[in-house]
Amino acid sequence: MANSTLSEPAMSSASMTGVPSTGLVPRRSFGGDLLIRVRQNIGLATAIGLFCVVYIFYHLAHPKGFSSAVFVQNADEVFTLAMVAMAQTLPVLAAGLDLSVGALMTMVGCIASYLLSGAATPIEFTFGGTHHVLAVLPGGGVGIAIGVVVCLLAGTLAGFLNGCVVVFGRIQPIIATLATGAIYIGIALFLRPTPGGKIDDDLNWALTNSLQDLASTVHIFDDGNASWFAPFAPIPVPFILIVLIALLVWVPFRRSVTGRSVYAIGSAEGAAYMSGLHIDRAKLAAFTLAGFFAGCGGLFLAIQTSSGNADIPQAGTYTLNSIAAVVIGGTSLLGGTGSAIGSIFGALILRVISFFFRIFDIAPLLQPLFEGIILLAAVSIGALRVLRVKNTLELFR
Amino acid sequence: MKSMLRVSGLALASLLMSSVATFAGPKIVSGPGANPTCFKPWSDQTKYFQWEKKPGPYRIAVVNGFVGNTWRIQMIKTAKAFAEQPGIKENIKEFKVVSTGTDVAAQLGAMEDFINQGFDAIVTIAVAPDGFDRIIRLADKNNVVVVPFDNILDTDKVMMVNEDQKEMGRMSAKWLINESGKTSGDILEVRGLPGNSVDRDRHLGFREVMEAPGNNFKITEVVGNWDSGTSQKVTADALAVHGHFDGVFTQGGSDGTVRAMIDAKHPYVPMSGEGENEFRKQIADHYKDGLKGMSYGQSPALVAISIKAAISALQGNVMPQLISIPIPVADYKTLKDGENYWSNLSANFFAPNQFLPCGVTFTAPEIMAQSEANVK
Repeated sequence: MANSTLSEPAMSSASMTGVPSTGLVPRRSFGGDLLIRVRQNIGLATAIGLFCVVYIFYHLAHPKGFSSAVFVQNADEVFTLAMVAMAQTLPVLAAGLDLSVGALMTMVGCIASYLLSGAATPIEFTFGGTHHVLAVLPGGGVGIAIGVVVCLLAGTLAGFLNGCVVVFGRIQPIIATLATGAIYIGIALFLRPTPGGKIDDDLNWALTNSLQDLASTVHIFDDGNASWFAPFAPIPVPFILIVLIALLVWVPFRRSVTGRSVYAIGSAEGAAYMSGLHIDRAKLAAFTLAGFFAGCGGLFLAIQTSSGNADIPQAGTYTLNSIAAVVIGGTSLLGGTGSAIGSIFGALILRVISFFFRIFDIAPLLQPLFEGIILLAAVSIGALRVLRVKNTLELFR
Repeated sequence: MKSMLRVSGLALASLLMSSVATFAGPKIVSGPGANPTCFKPWSDQTKYFQWEKKPGPYRIAVVNGFVGNTWRIQMIKTAKAFAEQPGIKENIKEFKVVSTGTDVAAQLGAMEDFINQGFDAIVTIAVAPDGFDRIIRLADKNNVVVVPFDNILDTDKVMMVNEDQKEMGRMSAKWLINESGKTSGDILEVRGLPGNSVDRDRHLGFREVMEAPGNNFKITEVVGNWDSGTSQKVTADALAVHGHFDGVFTQGGSDGTVRAMIDAKHPYVPMSGEGENEFRKQIADHYKDGLKGMSYGQSPALVAISIKAAISALQGNVMPQLISIPIPVADYKTLKDGENYWSNLSANFFAPNQFLPCGVTFTAPEIMAQSEANVK
């Protein structure tokens, strides 16, 4: 059993990236290969299929369907949830749950609301009656770049802390992150007792719009009017960011030994240990990377809203929705199978469901009911594999 | 091929140029505004907006955040009923209500979606007082009137509708001082949802009067989340610890506060609180025993006035940037069964729902008796 579960993620990694795998899978004809890959990633394939159907339907029904403005709005709305869902995927793959992703996102958002104003900002605090100035953040692009790096580092560090509590404290992830989540919300509340802060206007405008607006805001490519740039101009910036983060962070991690160890831990931790994998290192890496993804989400939310807000109900909503997105995206809560790419599609599906309420006339007080029914249906599709199982024992994988 | 790209690039550029050229938003003009008995400016300093007149009927959306307490449900029902009312119905071509939950990204997304769909006005209860800059920018660009009410924004770039929360606090403090006839004593303050601008402002207004020079009150503060159950529990705790209070100010869940006092066999004392029907019933039943109560109300009918303000703005009328709605107040002397409270109804709704100067004529029981299907 250990063998089969170990090799499965290794194969699906190749299928996900579209890169021909080496060694582990014997080469086949392209068609057969593709079919096998789809079958191995049936969860992901279902999520993508479902998303395409509902999303195309949404655009057909929308008065301005298939226009850049609608894509931009959709991408803005989905970005943070997609990031938080990616973050949740990693602990889930290792058969855990991270209840701190929403809180971590909120904390990073509150930090960002101090560092991304675009003006020179002194980093100061008052302790024991005396006033200390730690450093002065320069204004302009340099300051913003430093601010972004600091925010992402804070997210990563918080994720690492989660990992440390789980690995070295030997505490179940769900409980460990419940506690650390409360700490992160506490820090967020300390930083922003009431909502506020300031984000550079241009940064907000450039990142929450199409590439055209990005180019015209930062004055590149002839203010976005270069003729070669035209085909790319309507693409939403958040969409590009998601693709970049998935390709540059998730895919390399997924293909590394550490990444595959995370899957192995999820399918059979004992077997993974006996196979000589570095269990602790993999878990630490999983939580740290989760912190990075959640940090990306928080950073974007702050930029999108031009402010920081230590909103506790909102943090809880994001944590719960991230788990829903992970499941809809085809990742098993038992661990070992699935992918962060699937979770992005899970987040997309989750959002598109509520898009429909804006197009069709559904009684407002019945909307939560409809949302629940559609959600249940979406999750149930993933459970259909039970019908195809020939041997009951397979259910326990 | 290359020239085609160039052409499409040019077309796109000109499209963007044209959208910049139509950039409008409201003009800042001088007052007075239209229908001042209904759309009363907040203060003398309030500026006035005027949008370009658009031909009606209009497409209007209500984007609510959190849904699930009585107040919000009453608000949604009021919105639906008001949109069907003669005089309003003719001006509305399409009316949509969505609730996005406590997720600012979803609320921003819903508002932007309605802007994209070409709606003329968006009425909203913001989930946060900040973070709507992008939406305001887009709305101005597309000549969409955005009207936040209840939980309003910390900005003066949009037209907003609210009651004066600080004044509610001041009014409550003055009531307690007048009714008890004392300038010192133990007072219980039951606060609302933490981190909310409404809770903050009512608290500040209350403290401003209570802590004015010459007064020497000892105020005990507990957090009741505007919820009857929570309010009852924290009041019971406070009574257990302190034993006696000379007066009570509760921001919400007021009936729970009274129930806790009855349970603890605390003598009835002067009290000020929200506009729940249950609370008003308690005042009517017990004022002779000393529950000299005052009930102010943040009315769910604010949504109706906001819709009316949006229509008026779209018709090109001059509108105040911040519209102040008079606070509906009733006390034990002015309570009248069947008029500003209903002793035969047990469902806990918010009693103040009529604003005659604005043509909001239906009472709270009429609204709450209506099912969703009837209103549609």
